[in-house]
Formats: sequence, C-alpha cells, structure tokens
Amino acid sequence: MTGITFIVNMYMSSIVYVGCAVFALGFIYKVYFEYYKTPQPLVIPQTPQPVTLSGVILRMAGDVLFFRSLSKGTTFLFITGWIFHFTFLMMIIRHLRYFIHPVPGLITALGNGAMFLSVVLLVSLILLVIRRFAEERTAYVTVLADYVVLFLIIGITMTGIMMRCEPFRPDIVAVNAFVLQLMDLKAPFKMLGMHPAELLHKGQALSPGDVIFMCHLSFVFFLLMYFPFSKLMHAAGYFFSPTRNMVNNPRDVRHVNPWDNS
Amino acid sequence: MANDKTTDSAQGNTNDANARVQELIKFVKIKEKPVELTGHYEVPCIKPDSFIDVKPQLLSSVEQLQRLGYPTAGLIPDWKEVFLKKMDEILKKYRSVKLFLDICVRCGACTDKCHYFIGTADPRNMPVARAELMRKVYRRYFTWQGKLFGSKFVNGSDLSEELLAVWYTYFYQCSECRRCAVFCPYGIDTAEITMAAREILNSVGLVQKYMHEIIDKAQTIGNNLGMQQNAIVNALEFVQDELQETTEIPDIQVPIDVEGADVLFVTPSADFFASPHIESLYGYAKVFHQAGISWTMSTHASEGGNFGLFVHNYGHMKKINKRIWEAARDLKVKRVIGGECGHMWRVLSSYSNTMFGPFDWLDSRYPRPQHICEFTLDLLNRGALKIDKTANDEFVVTMHDSCQVARGLEMGGTEFGQFEIPRGVIRGVCNRFEDMPENTIRERTFCCGAGQGLLGDDMIATRVKGAIPRMQAYSYAKREKGVNFVALICAICKAQLSKMFPTYGIPMEEVGGIHQLVGRAIVLGAKEGI
Repeated sequence: MTGITFIVNMYMSSIVYVGCAVFALGFIYKVYFEYYKTPQPLVIPQTPQPVTLSGVILRMAGDVLFFRSLSKGTTFLFITGWIFHFTFLMMIIRHLRYFIHPVPGLITALGNGAMFLSVVLLVSLILLVIRRFAEERTAYVTVLADYVVLFLIIGITMTGIMMRCEPFRPDIVAVNAFVLQLMDLKAPFKMLGMHPAELLHKGQALSPGDVIFMCHLSFVFFLLMYFPFSKLMHAAGYFFSPTRNMVNNPRDVRHVNPWDNS
Repeated sequence: MANDKTTDSAQGNTNDANARVQELIKFVKIKEKPVELTGHYEVPCIKPDSFIDVKPQLLSSVEQLQRLGYPTAGLIPDWKEVFLKKMDEILKKYRSVKLFLDICVRCGACTDKCHYFIGTADPRNMPVARAELMRKVYRRYFTWQGKLFGSKFVNGSDLSEELLAVWYTYFYQCSECRRCAVFCPYGIDTAEITMAAREILNSVGLVQKYMHEIIDKAQTIGNNLGMQQNAIVNALEFVQDELQETTEIPDIQVPIDVEGADVLFVTPSADFFASPHIESLYGYAKVFHQAGISWTMSTHASEGGNFGLFVHNYGHMKKINKRIWEAARDLKVKRVIGGECGHMWRVLSSYSNTMFGPFDWLDSRYPRPQHICEFTLDLLNRGALKIDKTANDEFVVTMHDSCQVARGLEMGGTEFGQFEIPRGVIRGVCNRFEDMPENTIRERTFCCGAGQGLLGDDMIATRVKGAIPRMQAYSYAKREKGVNFVALICAICKAQLSKMFPTYGIPMEEVGGIHQLVGRAIVLGAKEGI
C-alpha cells in the first residue's frame, strides 16, 4: 500500500459520490421546481401538432428518437447530431456491464461493435466542433460553454478508446471490483476503512492504465456535475416544451390557467 | 440636508439614464430599397449591426400610457429593479419562457430561418441570437453561477442603458411568426421570448407606439381603428348600400347588433373599409345571404384583432377578448364565427376557452368559435352555395399561409386543417390554383414581414426587408406558373402585401382575401340555402 494509491482511491470514490449527488439533486430540482412546477398559462402547440394525446406522444417520440424537427432544417447538423447522440447512448448502454451482473446478452453483443461505435462517436464530435467555428452563423452564437461540453465529451471518448489499447489497458477486474464496491450502499460510510490496495492495482504503484481510467472517470463526473446547470438540461427540458407536448385541441378541451382566478 | 443632496444626485443620474436611452433609441427615418426579384431568396453572410438603427417610435401620450398601466415619463428612475422584478414574475408565470431560456443549446438550426435575418443580414435577427439577448440577462441574474461569479463567467450581460436600446431594437424586429420553432429540435418559440421582452420593456417605460396605441383603442373604444359606434354603423351601412347596388339584390344585408341572430360574426375592423380587406367583407355577406343564415356584427365587439397577444400582458389580451364573449352573450347568438384574421383566430379559439371558459350556451352542434373558412368550406361541400368558378378564371391563385393561422392551432379538428381548409375553399371557387415553393408555405410559411405590431409606418424599413422571402417566392410562382393573385386570410398580411407589392413592382390588385374570391364566384339569387 502506498500513499499515492490511497489518495487516488479517495479522490475517485469521492468524485463519484459527489458527482452523483450533485447530478441527481440538481436534475430533480430543475425538472420538478423549475420545469414541472412553472405553470403554462396558454395553449401554444406548434402546428402541425396532432389533435390527440397519442398523436402528440408519437410526434415527440419522432423528435426524441429521430430528431424530426431538426431534420427539417439542417441536414449536416441533423446527421452528425443524431450519430453523436446515438453512438453516445450505445456507449452508455455498453457501460452497464459494469453495473449489471450477470451481463445481459444484448450488452455483450454490443461489445463487438464497441470500438467502431466509439470511433464514430469521436469523429462526429470533432465534426461538431469544426462546425461550431467553421459555420459563420453558428460561430456567431457559440459561447465558450458550448466548447467546454464538446471537449469534455471528447475527453471521455478519447480516454475510453485509449483504455482499449496497450499499454493503457487498466486491470478490468479491479475496475469492476471498484465499481461494485462503490455500489455497495454502506460504502460511503466505510470509505476510510476501505482497503485501497484492492480497489486499484494490487499493492503496486499506479500504471498508465490507472491514470487514464482516473481521467476518464473524472471527465464523466465533471460532465454529470455540470449537467443540471447547463444547456445539457435540454435532455429533460424537451419533454416539458409547451410547443411540443400540448395537445392541439384548445377549442374542445379547456386548458385552465393556474394563475388566472377571475 | 445630506439626505436631500443624495436624492438630488440620484435623481440627476436617473434623468441621465432616461436621456441616454432616449438618445439611443431615437427614431430615425430610414429608407430601404427593395431587392431585385429573382424568384429565390438567399441566406446572406452576417453583417453585424447592419440594422441596429431601425427602431420603432415610442409612445409618449400620457393618458394612453396611464390607461395601459405603464410608466408615463420614459425610463423610470429605479428601472433596474423593476426590470428584474418583471422578468422574475414572467419566469414564474410562463413555463414557455423559463424553459426556452434554459434549454437552448445554440445548435444553429434556426439561424437561417427568420425572414428578418434573410432580409437584413443582421446576426442579431437570427432567432437564437435574438433570444440570447434575454438569455444573457437570465444567466447573469437568474442562475446561481451568474449571481456568484458575474456576467463574464456565464457569458451574460449586466443591465445597462445600451442593453435596453439593443432589446428595444431587436425585439421589435421580430414578428413572432414562430417559423424558427418549426425547425428547433426542442420547439423553442422565439415569439414567447419576444412577448416577454416587450412586456419587460413596457414595465420600465419603453413602450412602442403603434402597437400600444392600438391595444389602448381596442380596450377603451372597442376596435383597433378607434371608430366610435356610430362610425361603425355608418361604415357598415355604406357597405350594405354598395352591396345592394352592385348585386342588385335589395335584401342582402350587413346586419349590426341584431339580437337573436344565429351567428355573431367578428372580423378585424380594417375589413370595414380598407382595401383590399373590404372585398372580403362583401364575400362574407354574400355567403351568409346565400346560405340563408341570419348573422350579425356587433358594435361592442367591433374588432377581431387582438394586439394584446403580442406582449406577455395577459390582462390586455383578456380585456380585449372579453368583448367578443360579452357580445355573443348579449346578442343571444347560437354560433360565433371569426373572419379573416391571423392572430384573432389564435386568441379567439386557442385562448378564449382558457380565459372565459367555453361558449357553452351556443348551439350544441357548434359549441366553439369557428373560422369563416371552416364555415364556407362546409357550405361548399354540402352544395349549399351555387358557385360559378369561371368568374375567377382571370386569376391563377396562390395562397400565402398566414403565420398565426398556419402555425397556431388546428382548423376543422384535424392536424393539417389549417393548411387544407383555406386551400379547399380556394379550390372550391377557382379553377386554377398553384402553390408557391414548398419551403415557403404551410408550416414553413414565411411571415409577410409586418406581423405582431410591426405594421406601423415607422417600421417601413423592417417591413421592406422582412417581405423579401415572400416576395421572392411569389415572383417565382408568378414566373413559373403564371400566378397573378395571392389569397390571404389575415388583415395584417393584406395591409402589408398590398403595400409591398407595388414597392417590389407588382400590381397591388394581385393581393386579396379568400372571401374576395368566394364573393366573386358565388351566384346570388338562386335560393338553394340550407
């Protein structure tokens, strides 16, 4: 057991807990108090909006799954944006193998294409970055925060790809054990008492794989902590968007304005 | 004594602030030349601040400002507090505003969609940049990052007189047409943000003249033009005489304030005498006459248009709309039908149910306000009107979808009714109908360029530039398909295009209402009513 592995372990476990807490609390606060609790006084669907609830759900599914509204406007952004979101989602699903035991067949099957998907993800991200400054109109509205998010995800993807190659491959069994230990409900309370040597490399100094893994994990939790306070909230916000989620039948069904009491 | 001095200097500073703002947003008459009509519009390269000088006039009439409940002497001394308080109030009352400020990712999908951007090339007329004007204040004052670390950290803006001037400029270069929202992946509706910004500006004392004069007239007198009741009666009597003369039918009527009529008909007051609006009024009268349905207009609800929609001041809109509800009740009608007007249709059908509840004393077959196109198409489909389509053979007709109708709400209870029903009426009375290019009609329709409070003569530069995409699309249809008439269902579109057509070298007679065509084709006298 060395001092450095102890510090690294402490750092990694705390960033995981802090990150999860900030993300969960911030996300719930935003969605519940800021989106759900704010009243929408009037019916403002954006036609052609379906006139039935099931139709609205289908339209929203089209928007969420296939970016239909976006596809009407800009082809390049639509294709790159969709590929980015899709491959990113696949990567997240693939990572469930660290949390679910036994690993479902679907996730194992995804493993075959994982390398390919992650390279596609990286390429799409780079294209999105290029678009941000190369396209004149988009460049005009781009602010630093937009690049921060993109580069965080690029960082996550690159470290992820690196970890699949020697000599950056971390000890996968140790990583798995680390995750499992963190998932133990009692873990936060016995963090100080944990045997750090077991979390990372068995009693040895840090390997390159450990460092890359640490970066990967840090980027992920920086992103999660940033999530509730940034434009990333579009992921949840879309579902509350009144131009999209309101049924187009204001003449038939009375919409009540909660703050209009007269 | 010391106290007195500080108040004095504070007073001096705020007067300075007002003077500075007045100087920054001084109205300058600017002439803009129309572009050459090639049939295609092009998305321009950005030219920062190219349209920053174009601002509407301020309302200065003290009585009107008092009646509207806004400050009367320009920018108020404690404007920063009031500004933030008002913004906070709107953020708590309107989920749309709150959410749309929060979730934009600045993807750029909307950047080339606004007709004002296409016309002016000013990057702040890109919907995302326009909303960003407010989003910067939101990030600075309404997020904890902004409150803690200041405007630099969150890329926000501190409140300043310059900021007010920029707001006043660019939130009055938005016609709230919602075209950007069609292409936005999250449906962010810049109209909602513009409405909020305008109301915030109003609350600190920067009130635009044209629109708020009209809101005041509609509230106090009952219509946008400020016509007193006897003037309305005279105007409509004139219309009736005119109709009886031209049709040679002595019993065709334009009834007013008839208690117990079947239909209360509400239409923009421009229809009473403006051209080409009045041609549609003849059309409505002929349809009602031929269908044998008793109808009436109302001096109390002499206005369909509701400019209260254009600012997030719920009270204005409600007060104006209430007249229709009251007139329908007092005249004991069985149906309420709205004429050719864009935002009237949205307020009357989308919002009045929320504001006043359903018109539940109406005929149970028609319990909700109807659009005149729904009404006419129904009659046409049932064969209740005798139509001679050859009367319109001199026209090849196209249709300009008015933004508030096309992107506002359903018509006929179906998802695409607002596109199909007006076209159905046109096809029912004309032999030749051609659409303009696909990306300029239906839900992607371009605004005429003067909607939502920008129709004043002081905004003529904006109007000329904003009309470019529509003019190009029309000239394309004219060249390729021989189109020589554009049918409209909105009073603002009619007023704007009948001014812009001559500006761009197209005869003014090519603009008209859908019911103008109906009026021409209808064969009167043959009593086939229902």
